Amino acid sequence: MKIFRHLTVALVSYGGIVGASVFLAVLAVEFGISLFGDVVFSGWMLVTVQIARWFVLWVGVYTIHNVLPIAIAHGRTRREFLGAATGFTVVFALAMTLLAWLGFLVEDGLYSLMDWRSTPHGSPLAYFLMFLVWCAVGMLVTAAFDRWGYGGVFTLPVGLALAVVPGITMPGTGDTPFVRNMPHLLGDGWHAVSLGAWVVAMAVTWAIARDLPVRLRTS
Amino acid sequence: MRVDVQGLTVRYGDVTAIDDMSFSLSGNKIYGLLGRNGSGKTSLMSVLAGYRRAIGSVQLDGEPVFENAAAMRKVCLVRHPADAADKSDKVSHVLEYGAAWRDTWDNAYALELSELFKIGLKSKVGELSLGQRSAVGAVIGLASRSPLTMLDESHLGMDTPTRYAFYDALLNDFMAHPRTIIVSTHLIEELSSLLEEVVIIDSGRLVLQEEADVLRSRGTEVVGNAADVDEFTEGLTVLSEKSLGRTKSAMVFGQLDDSGLVRARQLGLELGPIALQDLFVHLTEPVGGKR
Amino acid sequence: MFDDRSPIYRQIADRIKADVLSGALKADEQVMSTNQYAAYYRINPATAAKAFQQLVDEKVLYKKRGIGMFVSTQARDMLRAQGRETFFGEVVDPMVAEARAIGIPLADVIRRIEQHENGSA
Repeated sequence: MKIFRHLTVALVSYGGIVGASVFLAVLAVEFGISLFGDVVFSGWMLVTVQIARWFVLWVGVYTIHNVLPIAIAHGRTRREFLGAATGFTVVFALAMTLLAWLGFLVEDGLYSLMDWRSTPHGSPLAYFLMFLVWCAVGMLVTAAFDRWGYGGVFTLPVGLALAVVPGITMPGTGDTPFVRNMPHLLGDGWHAVSLGAWVVAMAVTWAIARDLPVRLRTS
Repeated sequence: MRVDVQGLTVRYGDVTAIDDMSFSLSGNKIYGLLGRNGSGKTSLMSVLAGYRRAIGSVQLDGEPVFENAAAMRKVCLVRHPADAADKSDKVSHVLEYGAAWRDTWDNAYALELSELFKIGLKSKVGELSLGQRSAVGAVIGLASRSPLTMLDESHLGMDTPTRYAFYDALLNDFMAHPRTIIVSTHLIEELSSLLEEVVIIDSGRLVLQEEADVLRSRGTEVVGNAADVDEFTEGLTVLSEKSLGRTKSAMVFGQLDDSGLVRARQLGLELGPIALQDLFVHLTEPVGGKR
Repeated sequence: MFDDRSPIYRQIADRIKADVLSGALKADEQVMSTNQYAAYYRINPATAAKAFQQLVDEKVLYKKRGIGMFVSTQARDMLRAQGRETFFGEVVDPMVAEARAIGIPLADVIRRIEQHENGSA
C-alpha cells in the first residue's frame, strides 16, 4: 500500500502539473493561430493522442527503471512493487483521462464561443484504455532492457504491437490495424481487445521483473 | 541478525563472481568484508540483500531472502552510488522514500546525520560531489536501522574528517542499537579497530573468517640472520619474505607455540606483530600473478 | 590511537594497568564503561569488553553488577609486585646491553643511578 500511495501521489500530481501547463500552452498556440487564420482542428486532441501517450509511456519507464530499484533497496519485494505498479497504471490512466476530458470540456466551450472548427475526439473509455496500455508497455519494455540489457530490444515488437491496439479506433492517432476490418467488425467490442492488451503487457512485465537484478547505477 | 550462506554461486555470463561460498555470521557484530577489487564483495552483499537471484542458499535468521517480504524488511544494502538515491531526486526526496518505505527508519536521526555530513537537503543527488553522495549513502544505511545493514565502500570520496565522523556515527549508533553490520572497505587500517570479525574473500571464494583480534595475533614477523630465519620458518606458513643484506624478514601465519618462541630466542630472532592490512595483502592473491 | 599490529584488547588492558600503577586510577575507583571506552578510542565495544574481562580475570578490576567496573583494592600492589619480577629482565638487562653497545662504562651508569638515589638528578 505504501508503494502504491507513493507512486500515485508523486506521479499523478506530477502528471497534473505537466498536463495543466501543456493545456495552457495549447490554448496560447490556438489563439496565436486564430490571429493569422482559421482554427480548424482541436489542438488538445492532437496533444492528447500524440504527446500524452508518450508521456504516459515514459511514466511507465520511470516507474520500473527508477522507482523499482529504490523499492528493493528499501527492503520491498518485486512482487509487492509490481502489485502496486499494476494498480498504479489504472489510477494513473484514469487521472490522465480525467485531465484530457476536462481539457476537451474547456476547449469545446471555447471553440463554440470563438466559432472555431474542432475535430472529433475519442471517448473517455478509449482514452483510458490507451493510457492504460501505454503505461504498461513502458513498464514491459523497460523491465526487459533492465534485465537483459540490449537483449531487451527483442521485446520492442511485442510492445509496439500491444501499444497499437487501443489507438486503432481512436481519432487522430494515425495507428492502423494489422487486419483492416477487424476493429470495425468488433465495434465497441474492440475495447475488450485493448483491455486484453493491458493484461498481456502487465503479465509479461510481471514475468520479466520477478527476477530483475538491481544493477549498479553508473555515476 | 544471523546470516547463513550455503553453496552460493553468482555468475554473470561466463564470469563467476562468487564460487560455491559457504559461511555463517552469528550476528549483532560489526563485520569487515575484505577483498580486492573484483573479489566478489559487492556481488555477495547484493545477494544477501535480495538484489539478485543466485544459486545456493542465503538465509537471514533462517529465512530465504530473495522475494521474501519478511526477510527483505530487515535488510539494507548501500552500494556506491546508493541504489535508493536516484540521481534526479533531491536529497530530501531520498529521505522521504526511506521514511515512507522503511518501518525501522529513524527520520530525526537521518536529518541529524545529514547535518553532520553537511548535505544540502535541497540539492539533487546527481549534483553532489562523490564524497557527498557517499555520505547520503551512509545516512540511508545508518538511519535505516536495519537488523542487517551492509555498507559497501561507503567512505568513497569522503575526506578524512568526514570519514572519521562517519566511523564515529557508525560505532555510536551500533552501540545504541546493536545489529549486524557488514562493511566493506579498502581502508583497512582506518577501519580495523571498529571490526569485531573479519571475512576475507578472494576470487569469489572465502579465504578466512576470524575474530579481528585473533587474526591480529596470528601473524608474526620474524627478523634476523637469513640462515636462522630460514631454519626457523621451515614447515611454517610463510606469507612473504624480504631480504636486506644478511638480514631477512619473513611473515609467518599461524600462532607460534611456546617451543617456537623459545627457539626464536635461542636463534636470536626478533619477533614482531603484523598489521591486519599487511596480513590481508598477503592472504589474497598478489598483484600480477597467481598464488 | 592504537597500532593495528597486536590485539587491541591487550593494548587497552596495558593502558589501564599503567594508569593503576601511576595512581591515575585509584583503588575502588570506577573505570569508564565499555561503550565509553569504545567511543573514546574508536574501537569495537566487544574488544573493550574483552580487555575488561582479561583485567577481571587477572583481578585488577572487579565487576559490580549493573553498575560497572572498579579497580580492585589490591590491584596496585599486585601490579607493582609483577612489575618488580620482570623489571630486571625487561628494563635493566636491555639498558645494560644498550650501554655496552654504545660504549658507556657501567660505572657511569651506576653513578647516574646513585645521583637519582641522592635526589640530585
